[in-house]
Amino acid sequence: MTDTTNLLPGTPPKNGKSIAAAIGGNQYLLGTLSVIVFLAIWQVVSMNVPPIILPAPAAVFTAFIGLTATGELVRATLQTIWPFAVGLVVAFVVGTVLGLVLGIFRPAARVLDPYIFVFWSIPNIAWLPLFIAWFGVGNLTLIVFVFVSAVFPQLLTVESGAKEADSFLVEVARSLGGTKREILHIVVLPSALPYIFAGLRIAVGRALVGIIVGQLLIVATGIGYMFQFYGETLSLAKYFAPLIVIAALAVLLNRGVNWAERALIPWKQHAFV
Amino acid sequence: MPELEFVNLRKSYRSPSGEDLLALADFSIKLGGGRFVTVVGPSGCGKTTLLRMAAGLIPADHGEVRLDGAALTGPSPRMSMVFQAIGLMPWKTIEANVALGIQLQVHRPKLTAAEMDRVHATLALVGLKGFERYYPHQLSGGMQQRVGLARALVRQPEILLMDEPFGALDAQTRAVLQDELLSLWGRVNSTVLFITHDLDEAIYLSDTVVIMGRRPGRIKLVLEVKLPQPRYSYDARAEAEFARLRSIAWQSIKEEL
Repeated sequence: MTDTTNLLPGTPPKNGKSIAAAIGGNQYLLGTLSVIVFLAIWQVVSMNVPPIILPAPAAVFTAFIGLTATGELVRATLQTIWPFAVGLVVAFVVGTVLGLVLGIFRPAARVLDPYIFVFWSIPNIAWLPLFIAWFGVGNLTLIVFVFVSAVFPQLLTVESGAKEADSFLVEVARSLGGTKREILHIVVLPSALPYIFAGLRIAVGRALVGIIVGQLLIVATGIGYMFQFYGETLSLAKYFAPLIVIAALAVLLNRGVNWAERALIPWKQHAFV
Repeated sequence: MPELEFVNLRKSYRSPSGEDLLALADFSIKLGGGRFVTVVGPSGCGKTTLLRMAAGLIPADHGEVRLDGAALTGPSPRMSMVFQAIGLMPWKTIEANVALGIQLQVHRPKLTAAEMDRVHATLALVGLKGFERYYPHQLSGGMQQRVGLARALVRQPEILLMDEPFGALDAQTRAVLQDELLSLWGRVNSTVLFITHDLDEAIYLSDTVVIMGRRPGRIKLVLEVKLPQPRYSYDARAEAEFARLRSIAWQSIKEEL
């Protein structure tokens, strides 16, 4: 943080830093402070409402430890993670490849785009009964549902990325003698790379929604089922345990995507200012 | 020595309102012999159109561009173009961006050791030794244009096309790069076709200045600059001849504004 030499008329010189600036300078301090304030507010509210509406933080913590000790939470997490991971990975691969193909070969896009748009416009949940009829009540339905939830954001984001390769850079490559194939390698694919990660970020979120909805409404396993069971039995302290797991999973995945993006797109960072 | 010839070039663009705007009409010049030729004119006079046709990027409506007598049908490996907006690949290091100049010339992604040596020598030539592993966004505008210049020069072009390459730079950087360009040109033996709207820049750099009129673009005046090269070895801008040429050229351009 640098001090500006203020040359405007009539403004008194400022000495020292404001408290906000001092706190803002340390992001860890700010983060910790935020958690403490959040827990304090939670505690105060829970003391003023019945535990059936909002359990106290300590009760939630105890329930979390209990569910972990019995193995229920771990089992449920694994039951959630693997169909989620399979569906997401397949959606990522299919969405990325198809998105690149459609973004690069315009005729293919003209044929397929209307169908993709129609499928994308249908609310995901409407597919669920159909998938059960086709794939039964089990993991296959969950995988397919996660796949359908995640594949469209991945596909559409990558497609638009491949379409929007900088036309000036294409011209530069052409002026140097680049053939269509060379331009694809040198300009189009690298400029689509950031879009692959942008798509993945959305796809991860949709896939999480997909797996939870699937398990909660239909297949009755894993984290989704814990929401349903502890919600219906009004065991709210226990209800929060799978919630914490899902939040942690979402944060972890987001961090993972960010890390991969930084590793694979080195030209997007360390700008000299 | 190569010879680049524009024969009766004509090019028009369809305006949004549907009428045809003539950008270039019956434009004919011949250049080569390692000379430095600058085309100068007001914006909209079709000078960028001219250069893009010379680079084989757009076809002429009528007439043709000839390289050593043969009609040009697309970008030629014997030429290089330098752009005002530079156009470095943001995902490639400086070294890789310069190597691209050769890769797309020989259509081979893997360069030989000798070709890589040429990449490094050219980077040293433009004063960017030590920046091989940097990415373009880590460099200033002036340094980025040096990379653009290196990418063009590494191809050992017989003809160097330059589209207002210093137009986006600040005055000091521009003056430094002008001198460096003259120094490089003295060593590489390329014929240069340079486009600018800056009259001083045109006179300072060139053997020949072609002044264009606007709409439709045509040649208005051709000036030979007899000041000895290299012009950075003395204060060429302060010479009486410089002022005389500047005054003649300015009269001619003023009529077009």
